[in-house]
Amino acid sequence: MKRMNGMLLISIIPFIIFVLLFLFVPLFFMLYSSFQENGGTGFTFSQYMEVFRNTYYHQAFKNSMLISFFSSLIAITLAVFAAYSITLFSKKVQDRILVFANLTANFAGIPLAFAFIVILGNSGLFTLLFKHFGWDLLNSFNLYSWSGLVLIYVYFQLPLAVMLIYPVYQGIQAQWKEAAALLGASPSQFWLKIGVPIIMPSIAGTFSILFANAMGAYASAFALTGSAYNLVTIRIGAITTGDIFARPELGSAIATLLGLTMVLALLINEWLTRRIRRDLS
Amino acid sequence: MSFLTIEKIKKSFNNETVLHHLNLSIKEGEFVTLLGPSGCGKSTLLRTIAGLIHPDEGTIHIDGKNVTEVKPKDRQVGMVFQSYALFPNMTVQENIEFGLKMKKLDKESIKQNVARVIELVELTGKERSYPRELSGGQQQRVALARSLVTQPKVLLLDEPLSALDAQIRKNLQKQLRSIQQELNMTTILVTHDQEEAMAVSDYIYIMNKGHIAQSGSPHEIYTRPASEFVARFIGNYNVLSRKEISNLFNDDNGYTRDIYAIRPEAFSEAPVKDGYEITGKIQKMTMLGNITRYELEVNNVCFIADHLHKIEEDSQKRETITLYLNRKDVISLT
Repeated sequence: MKRMNGMLLISIIPFIIFVLLFLFVPLFFMLYSSFQENGGTGFTFSQYMEVFRNTYYHQAFKNSMLISFFSSLIAITLAVFAAYSITLFSKKVQDRILVFANLTANFAGIPLAFAFIVILGNSGLFTLLFKHFGWDLLNSFNLYSWSGLVLIYVYFQLPLAVMLIYPVYQGIQAQWKEAAALLGASPSQFWLKIGVPIIMPSIAGTFSILFANAMGAYASAFALTGSAYNLVTIRIGAITTGDIFARPELGSAIATLLGLTMVLALLINEWLTRRIRRDLS
Repeated sequence: MSFLTIEKIKKSFNNETVLHHLNLSIKEGEFVTLLGPSGCGKSTLLRTIAGLIHPDEGTIHIDGKNVTEVKPKDRQVGMVFQSYALFPNMTVQENIEFGLKMKKLDKESIKQNVARVIELVELTGKERSYPRELSGGQQQRVALARSLVTQPKVLLLDEPLSALDAQIRKNLQKQLRSIQQELNMTTILVTHDQEEAMAVSDYIYIMNKGHIAQSGSPHEIYTRPASEFVARFIGNYNVLSRKEISNLFNDDNGYTRDIYAIRPEAFSEAPVKDGYEITGKIQKMTMLGNITRYELEVNNVCFIADHLHKIEEDSQKRETITLYLNRKDVISLT
């Protein structure tokens, strides 16, 4: 038995090394660097002070949180119904839809932005087509604005949300519905009193993942709006690549705060879930 | 007077008929069991009574009212599932009061009714527990209480005890029967366990491939199985062909049917008047708690005989044993 444990330990070493090198070391250096003067010359809080004082960074955080919150909210609301609809199809159709969802969930970044530009951009296929039919899309919708960005975010958030919520419905036992029906509950009463409270932790968990996913998204927004739209990730990108001067220490401080925002969102989520599902606490 | 009447119920799934025009009649306050192997249609029949499955043909009457087209919630039936089907997000109290809340009863009535059934199923003190904090037996008692509290006209039990271990199952069988008798609740139990069916039922319907193979009191079913299927299903019956019977008794007078059954405990060591005397070679002897089971061989016919276990048993050393059998214990089957 002891020999077996030894073998297990040896086999897990590459994984531990991988986690250390690619997760902990960068995290440590990010934290370390965020407390350094420009050029890494000594300990300071000045990077954080700058982030807290500069309204431009405040706006970046506000924009990132708003777009993450709304795109996650739209995606999760649609996914709750979409995933349930999928469960009503035959197993074969369900599998195919999931493959498609998986594909689209991973179709993000620059290719996605260009796909949208080609379709809905100023000279996009549909923009021109609608114009031809007498409807000027650009009057009501601009791909390179907040609403265009939300659309792109929802596009990659929705399939991810569907994939994460779909298994949750498998956990709803058919016999709960039957028992509730025999006890006099209508289908809507079942979902209100039993179904939704049961799936709520998974919905909340999925919301956290979507929020974090959107907070960390960079390439899609950058490809679409360049650095015109003020988001945290775009700010970090601009600072570290150095449009004027590279300031990796300031970038690290912003990245640390971005990480803390996500942790905070996760904690709020956890707290809310426990309030809703008392049986899990 | 029949309280629940099922007439010519037929149900098919994917062109396969699982219920073949069944007729059942159940009296008020009776404990009836649908007994049969997996896939015989017993659960389908129960779910049809509950209204969870709609029959292709036939009618169901409960207390004189045709409920065939009535929604499950309006049939006044309670159901207990094998998987308990308790709502995990609700406490014991909330699970039990769910049906009463749906009926919009006032708070005081709900409180009183819930307290009464909690006491009945002996779960006092567990009101605030969640299902995951309870044992399987306790969860099943909550499920029972949840069904009983709405005072259904018929209580349906779909293999409610099969997920429990033997000791708890036996205790719950007794408790189930005593609660049913106390409330005089018309109850239908579905099970594949013949011992359970015998222990709790007033009346048993044995089902096979969507047909009723035999119906009767537990005593009738056990002592007079009507067919080879029933004899083999309900116990350890010796099922023997006409040739084997002739060889066993050295007598072929009067045995004109093709197949016969003999209960293992019908063989006695004490001589019986006007019976057969059989001396058999002991192939194997097994101690089954209070019963000693002999596997015997006579004229190339193998059969089993059960005796109550005796402390001074010395058959280990014996090679043969002489047994006696009353002629009326040889049951002809169809």
